[in-house]
Amino acid sequence: MLRESSLTNNSDFDLTELTAGVTGAGDIQAAKLLADFAEAAVKRETGPLTEYRNALLQALGPAGVVDAAATVAAFHGYVRLADATGIPYEHAGFGTDTTEMRAAIGIDNFYAAGLEDRG
Amino acid sequence: MSEISYDQVPYAIRDDLIAAQRRCWEGLARAGTWHDGARRVAIAAETRNARNCDYCQAQKAALSPNAVAGSHAGLGELSDVEVDAVHRIASDPARLSKAWYEENKAEGLGDEPYVELVSLVAIVTIVDSFTFALGLPDHPLPTPVPGAPTRYRSPGAKVQAAWVPIVEPRDMTESDGDLYPSARVGYIQRAISAVPDSKWAYWDLASCHYLPMEEIPRWDTNARAIDRTQIELIAGRVSALHQCLY
Repeated sequence: MLRESSLTNNSDFDLTELTAGVTGAGDIQAAKLLADFAEAAVKRETGPLTEYRNALLQALGPAGVVDAAATVAAFHGYVRLADATGIPYEHAGFGTDTTEMRAAIGIDNFYAAGLEDRG
Repeated sequence: MSEISYDQVPYAIRDDLIAAQRRCWEGLARAGTWHDGARRVAIAAETRNARNCDYCQAQKAALSPNAVAGSHAGLGELSDVEVDAVHRIASDPARLSKAWYEENKAEGLGDEPYVELVSLVAIVTIVDSFTFALGLPDHPLPTPVPGAPTRYRSPGAKVQAAWVPIVEPRDMTESDGDLYPSARVGYIQRAISAVPDSKWAYWDLASCHYLPMEEIPRWDTNARAIDRTQIELIAGRVSALHQCLY
């Protein structure tokens, strides 16, 4: 989905950063800040989360912070829905997540990839 | 009845988002398809309780969750197998396995009650993650409403592409209601389709936090205050940190 939206919007982003860590080198506005905010939320680190949220308020405004928080929250739900039901992942992202891309990003190294029991 | 309020927040929260959270909180309190209101709220409370479970943390820290002996610190309202399901889904979803799912079935956790449980864990996790991300406390859980579960079993639900039974678009029946907007739906939309009421409740909430269904195929959508690449960056990073394959 990120690749498709980047292509459509002429953005440059190295997808390997999704697993390796976002550096902000691409041209997505506030990319590193958004990623840091998301990571602090996933890890439930209240101190850094407050710091990144305040920085996002300056960078994107209140509505941007709310929608960033909402997206973080939504994907806390989606991952549980997907992983708890064992749905196939080969067709994720409308089929845009190719085998080559999954290998390049490092998704194939995730624990569940070794189980080979999804789908 | 709704305990959802953002009156004390110093900036505006979208009205549609608040309304969706209130609807799901009201639905959480009522009898569902396989669990009554008290049990559904107990599943929600157990989802929160998993954050403080030492056994969950030990499992998550181990190379394999199966390498750790012990038991979850449950709140006492659910069976052991339900507590394990809630805690594992809440704490370490990426390392769930088909074998684990089948073991839970063998211990009495049926397919459809499990599907409803999954939806409730996911719903509470969404709402709680949103408030946490904004630096707010958890909303109080709703008070259960008396009533009996419908025990509706979708005639078209089959175990085929996933661990749980799902209703493929071609197998929809009139009694399922309007389960899919079209026949071209991703597996994420089919995941909890065996319990249609749970599917609607989950997607009503999730769509208000991510994107409306009709906006998802629009890569340049401006439906939110952040652009699509920013949304997908967050989505991808959260999924990667969870080690989610999907």
